[in-house]
Amino acid sequence: MPAKDALKKAFPVILLTVVVAISVTLLTFTDRLTRDKIEYQKEQKIQSMLFEIFPNMSRYDFENDIYTIYSDGAKIGYAFLAVGKGYGGDIDILVGLEDETTIKGISIVSHSETPGLGSRITESFFTDQFAGLSIDEVALKRNGGEVDAITGSTISSRAVINAVRDTAMEKVKLLEESE
Amino acid sequence: MGKFIKEFAKGLIISNPVFVLALGLCPTLAVSTSIDNALGMTLAVLIVLLGANVIIAAIRNFVPSITRIPIFIVIIASLVTVVNLIFQANFPDLHEALGIFLPLVVVNCIILARAEAFASKNPIVSSLADALGITVGFMLALLMISFIRQTLGTGSLSVFGFHFFTLPILGKNPIAMFILPPGAFLIIGLLMALFRRMGVMKSE
Repeated sequence: MPAKDALKKAFPVILLTVVVAISVTLLTFTDRLTRDKIEYQKEQKIQSMLFEIFPNMSRYDFENDIYTIYSDGAKIGYAFLAVGKGYGGDIDILVGLEDETTIKGISIVSHSETPGLGSRITESFFTDQFAGLSIDEVALKRNGGEVDAITGSTISSRAVINAVRDTAMEKVKLLEESE
Repeated sequence: MGKFIKEFAKGLIISNPVFVLALGLCPTLAVSTSIDNALGMTLAVLIVLLGANVIIAAIRNFVPSITRIPIFIVIIASLVTVVNLIFQANFPDLHEALGIFLPLVVVNCIILARAEAFASKNPIVSSLADALGITVGFMLALLMISFIRQTLGTGSLSVFGFHFFTLPILGKNPIAMFILPPGAFLIIGLLMALFRRMGVMKSE
């Protein structure tokens, strides 16, 4: 009975396909249910991080992926998200600019770096190094810049540094064009 | 009913996942820094293990042995992703504290080990009891470890913002080592040795 044999052989494949199909449906459904809430949580987090970088902030505008920060009606800076390619995936970084050349401060929004090694990019001893640097000083010291890498986490450190510098240059260009 | 209790009870002591089976040590080491994290991890493991054990027990008679591992992994990974999204949406602080260890529940040996060793060979009710027992055993182990680590490492104890006590001298000078990874290894090792010495747990 060849037909029956073929079915018997194909059964594991069919079953696995069905299981995967059910799983995909379940995940799509959960994603739909939670997406708005997760977006909202992220927005809240970015807002509190903007306050950390710009303590005088009274309000902000968000346009073309750039946050413009105001304090009592006066423009005090810009902020934007930079995405670095880390060791364990994307690193989202919030970068604050004082003006078109100087970094005000940075903050790590999310990452999946190795706990205890790469995850130290979130600690202030690393992120504080960026405050007050001009954009072209954002590089490792050995490459002529002003930033020390974290021991044992060169890839994560470099991912943050490159993302901050490259995205800052790109955004500044956009800002200058729009003026 | 007697069988249900038997399957439940064995997870607490005689096959305690952490102290006897020595499974899931990686998350145990990582999240036992505070009682809050320990309870959060327990909740995640409870949902995933319960779901995985019940589903796998329900389909155990159709699943050909050749594809059983991929099927188990798909089921476990889906449940973990669902839990991860729900935590991210509703408990962002907890989600951040658990960090990478929440998605890594997928490869938590406790879950695949119970699927493979128990749920794939036993009916639904026993598998449910097994999942509950193993989770409670995991929780007891995590609570013991995190209680000691949090108390010594921060000098005080508070759970979900509710403050219990501050130790007299340690409150000002906590032994930070206990919060760091070496503290976790030390405490797990010492507790394991203590339980063996007392004869509470024997290696299988």
